[in-house]
Amino acid sequence: MAIDIVTLLNYSIAFFSLFVVSVFLLLYLKHRNSYLKPPKKTDWRPMVSVIVPAYNEGKYISDSLTSILAIDYPKDKLDIIVVDDGSTDSTYESAKKFECQSLRVFTKKNGGKGSALNFGIGKAKGELIATMDADSYLTKNVLLELIPHFTDEGVMAVTPAVKIKQSNSWLKEFQRIEYLMILFSRKLLSFIDSVPVTPGPFSMFRASVLEKIGGFDEHNLVEDQEIALRIQANNYKIKSSMTAEVYTEPPDTVSSLLRQRVRWQRGGVRNYWKYKFMIKPQYGDFGMYFIPLNFATITAFFVLLGLMVHSVISTPYYVKYIWFDAFGLGVDLFTFIAAFVIITSLCFLYLSIKSFKGEKVSLRYLLLFIIFYWYLMVGYNVLFVLKELRREGYSW
Amino acid sequence: MVLGVIMERKISVPLYAGALIISLVIFIIGIFVGQIIDASNLQTISEDLSHVSQKVASINLLLLMEDNSSSFCPVYMEQLQSIDQEIEIVGHKLTYLEEEKNIYDSELKKDYFVQEAESYLLSKKAKQLCNDSSILLVYFYSNVDCASCQDQGIEILKARDELLGKGITVKIYSFDGDMGSSVAESLMTQYNIVSYPSIVVNGAVYSGYKDSNAVSSIIQSMVSE
Repeated sequence: MAIDIVTLLNYSIAFFSLFVVSVFLLLYLKHRNSYLKPPKKTDWRPMVSVIVPAYNEGKYISDSLTSILAIDYPKDKLDIIVVDDGSTDSTYESAKKFECQSLRVFTKKNGGKGSALNFGIGKAKGELIATMDADSYLTKNVLLELIPHFTDEGVMAVTPAVKIKQSNSWLKEFQRIEYLMILFSRKLLSFIDSVPVTPGPFSMFRASVLEKIGGFDEHNLVEDQEIALRIQANNYKIKSSMTAEVYTEPPDTVSSLLRQRVRWQRGGVRNYWKYKFMIKPQYGDFGMYFIPLNFATITAFFVLLGLMVHSVISTPYYVKYIWFDAFGLGVDLFTFIAAFVIITSLCFLYLSIKSFKGEKVSLRYLLLFIIFYWYLMVGYNVLFVLKELRREGYSW
Repeated sequence: MVLGVIMERKISVPLYAGALIISLVIFIIGIFVGQIIDASNLQTISEDLSHVSQKVASINLLLLMEDNSSSFCPVYMEQLQSIDQEIEIVGHKLTYLEEEKNIYDSELKKDYFVQEAESYLLSKKAKQLCNDSSILLVYFYSNVDCASCQDQGIEILKARDELLGKGITVKIYSFDGDMGSSVAESLMTQYNIVSYPSIVVNGAVYSGYKDSNAVSSIIQSMVSE
């Protein structure tokens, strides 16, 4: 009976993987000629408030504010609001140096990123509100690329192309490749109105609807995802731009990367659980496909991990004698399916990189990514479960 | 002030139906490919056994021509080693298919036992003619009525590994006594095997489960005699 369950689970995981990959494949095939096309340009220049919450960002804030002030946008339509969230370093003083007609600096008692964002939203004058991280670097055309999406009255939020700058660090290159894949998949998801997150490094919202649905959840681990889910729950559109480029500073050590990813996973799972009420036809593809997909993916991941551990534990002693001679005999249904899934995933990886003209990835880092990404996923998924089981407190 | 227009949600049924169809097609193709590969693997094993059979026939012919002369030993031992290696590889492949993929071909298994038995008899002849010092271990098991047989097989392999480290070569010939193989039944009758597991070491019979230490002790005591 135990063997039957293992076989059944293997078949289920194989079929699930096939299905998910096929959905993405079909989305790409349907939109392959249009997914890179930006919307028609517009002369519309609404007032844009850019909220920059900062906590101990003395190292990055100057570069960040310089990049914002250099944006190609009428300065009289720009309302930059820096909110120092009770920093203990020189963040406030560094930001104050930039204060001018289009840039205001506020300080408040430390209350977390969500509270700083909400404070800034309270002071905002703009028809559109952009939120960002203090270590984000904006490209000149970011607003001009994002604003045309808002000419569609149904669009409530637009996500930019958040990327990581090329570097010599293997860890940062690893994440750079990953971010390109995330961008590509987010664009595909936008075609079924299933963008699940308005990224913290930079996102733009309609001020009026932010007012309607409320600001950021100040007690959430991943407030940028939670607000996106709230927007989806109110049936407003979130669009994804591939041309509005924003660069973010990624974790530069394995431990800080794991900490970030565990936070994302813990926060993400809790948020999806909070919004499980959306699993209803009235929420369309997002409710009936995307949210169940997240639960199914996490379950499948752990089932697969369990199956692999079971396979290793139940490997009989004699295998060390037979594996060489039996090499090749194991090719079966699962090998065929795994080959299809792997080849399709590699194609997506290739397309993700190719979609962005300026992005070049060296073969060395690409191979590292292909070989080791799985270990990162195992690491943070196992850690997230342990932390949840131990009901550990949150840390950024 | 634009409040934002609520969108009309839809479920992209054609998308999911298309994905389901692709998944089913790949799945079904995979099943067929798997079956074709399994059949091909069994065919390859059958050809390997034919190859072994030809080699055994050649040695037997040479033995007859040379009238069992010991001057023939270098050639004989070299051929025998080659046969043993090929039989072992076939055995590994059959074990893998049976244990890991639940593929049983009883006729192929019986052919394998025939070749194994011929290799065993040739090895016995080599011990007499050429003073070969290898220990010949015949292992009788059953997949039907023997709870400890799989463990016994593993213990024999462990013992072989341990003894190889001490310079003692053990050749293992294993037979399933409940498969309807006339060769296996013949050998069981010859050695008066009545229960499983049983091992025969250089002609001496030992019944009942024995761990690797016990098997090693039996063999080492034989070597020291």
